Amino acid sequence: MYRLALNMLFGDLAKLAMLLCGLAFSALLMAQQSSVFFGIMSWTYTPMVNIRAQVWVSDPMVEQVNDAKPLRDTDLGRVRSVDGVAWAAPLHTSFVQARMQDGNFKLITLVGIDADTFAGAPAVLSQGRIEDLRLPDTVIVDEWGAALMGRMGVGPDGQPRNTPLKVGDTFEINDIQARIVGICRVKRAFTGGPFVYTTYDRAKGYTLGARRTLSFMLVEPQKGVPPAELCDRIERDTGLKAWTSDTVIWNWGERSLARNTFWWFWTNTGIPFSFGTAVLLGLFVGIAISGQTFYSFVLENLKYFAAIKAMGAGMGVIARMLLVQAFTAGLVGFGLGAGMAQAIGRVMIEKGMPPFVMYPQILWATFALVLGISLVSALIGIIKVSRVDAASVFRG
Amino acid sequence: MSHLAHTVAVRATGVDMFFGTPENRVVALKQADFEARRGELIMLVGPSGCGKTTLLSVIAGTLTPQAGAVEVFGQRLDGLGQEALTSFRRRHLGFVFQSFNLIPTLTVAENVMVPLLIQGRPYGEARDRAVAILDKVGLKGREDGRPNALSGGQQQRVAIARALVHEPPLLICDEPTSALDKDTGAQIMQMVRDLSRSPERCVVVVTHDHRIFRFADRIAEMEDGRISRVVDDPRLLDTSQL
Ligand SMILES: Nc1ncnc2c1ncn2[C@@H]1O[C@H](COP(=O)(O)OP(=O)(O)OP(=O)(O)O)[C@@H](O)[C@H]1O
Ligand SMILES: [Mg+2]
Repeated sequence: MYRLALNMLFGDLAKLAMLLCGLAFSALLMAQQSSVFFGIMSWTYTPMVNIRAQVWVSDPMVEQVNDAKPLRDTDLGRVRSVDGVAWAAPLHTSFVQARMQDGNFKLITLVGIDADTFAGAPAVLSQGRIEDLRLPDTVIVDEWGAALMGRMGVGPDGQPRNTPLKVGDTFEINDIQARIVGICRVKRAFTGGPFVYTTYDRAKGYTLGARRTLSFMLVEPQKGVPPAELCDRIERDTGLKAWTSDTVIWNWGERSLARNTFWWFWTNTGIPFSFGTAVLLGLFVGIAISGQTFYSFVLENLKYFAAIKAMGAGMGVIARMLLVQAFTAGLVGFGLGAGMAQAIGRVMIEKGMPPFVMYPQILWATFALVLGISLVSALIGIIKVSRVDAASVFRG
Repeated sequence: MSHLAHTVAVRATGVDMFFGTPENRVVALKQADFEARRGELIMLVGPSGCGKTTLLSVIAGTLTPQAGAVEVFGQRLDGLGQEALTSFRRRHLGFVFQSFNLIPTLTVAENVMVPLLIQGRPYGEARDRAVAILDKVGLKGREDGRPNALSGGQQQRVAIARALVHEPPLLICDEPTSALDKDTGAQIMQMVRDLSRSPERCVVVVTHDHRIFRFADRIAEMEDGRISRVVDDPRLLDTSQL
């Protein structure tokens, strides 16, 4: 009978297409929405991705990467003397206003990195060389910032045109000149505007007035020392807080700064709520659409199920037929929807907008939900058929 | 008496069947008695609303009456639970409906296979038997088409094949010809007669269609929820009322 159940399902391709569209669309909606949600949430720990270091050391009160509580410069020496530390480099991060040549101000994320080791430097430069940061008054701006801070003018065609900043252009941070020697390609952040890299010492100058400028220390463990273990040692010896830099937000545990940042935003801001509403909306729309399409499939077949029932099929057989139909449709619908979500995601990742992070967990959850929807639809169908009077088959 | 018991296929005695609420009650069967014998084709006729379909449903085990005893091939139906009734229908009954009730998304052969698959027969065996009986109803070569591609008469032939493929002792037909034209209706009845003829099988046909009365061995006339008389010759009936 299960083969017949499947043939019933696949017998009407137009209706099947409708059903699969509904299921695929809801799977797409759920996977897509949650991937964008996690993509946006992944912006919260962008500094962890852009400033690459195995171990981060911060003030004990720090809860997340965007909220540094400055340390004393002498803390650097204390960390360097912890057993197992290969090297430790200072890092400055702050949100400051930059003044463009046209007089406009833009909020930027100023990153000061150690001029000797360039620890924390951007991975990819599309223009310029990192070594030029050793020249006076120099900065490296990310591509987004270069465009954002670019000059608006009129193109040869008379249309307004934005000319991005390039190597050699200048702007000011706190009245101090910043000359661009490089353009880098980094991940966008949720807070604080584009990344502007300079040396740690020059960052002190740019943020005149700030009493302390050591936001984090970037630490490299000696060969064979696991980062998590080094974190324990640093905390024990210095009383500071040490973090690992893995960005897998699902792995539970205290150590990852990215994870703590993610969950800090999760619990302390309205972002998860507002984006979560969109995800839930996708979910409800998905459930409604696929539930509705499967339900109408059952309704259309109700009189045939009634006939099968009259001919002596027990409710157990009919229930299993409906389950086979629902799960098959759910499976195929999920496959189509997840495939589409992945294809769309690939395009989005290429463009970088909107951010898109499709964890395998998202796919599993979508899978479970689509099957859940199928199960509920099948149950409704089963109830419906079980209420049908077998005698009703004699009525036209 | 023992001889009679042996020939009886269906016996319903004192059957009451009501529909609706106690205040707004519709009496469909009122102390109805009915008997059908093995090897015969008996027709159930009468004005609209007299309770023909209801009586048919009761002896088919799809409706449970409020009162009365129903016995089909030695099996008492009153008092049986849903599960036992379902299993009874699976083994003993073949149905032919007025509106064919063929599943449009399945092929002709698959439709005919349904009763066998419900009995748990393997797909291959079910298909072989379906193809064989489709040949008997004159639909050789149409096995893998869809029912909707067939004419009304052909669809009803598929339904007959489906009703008989598992060789049920009791064949139940409700208005099998009313959706068909005169000639096709006669062909269908001829087919029902030819194929179902068996000393053990009983065929009960509900109909309005006096043109097919001649295919009956006996005709039971119904009026107001009970059998008013049973005749052996259709010419004895006053067809003007039907
Ligand atoms: N499920 C039901 N609910 C309520 N009333 C019903 C139901 N089934 C039948 N009836 C009523 O019972 C009576 C007998 O109905 P039944 O269908 O048995 O008549 P019938 O002789 O088959 O009529 P027809 O020739 O029109 O098919 C009618 O008054 C009908 O309205
Ligand atoms: Mg009727």
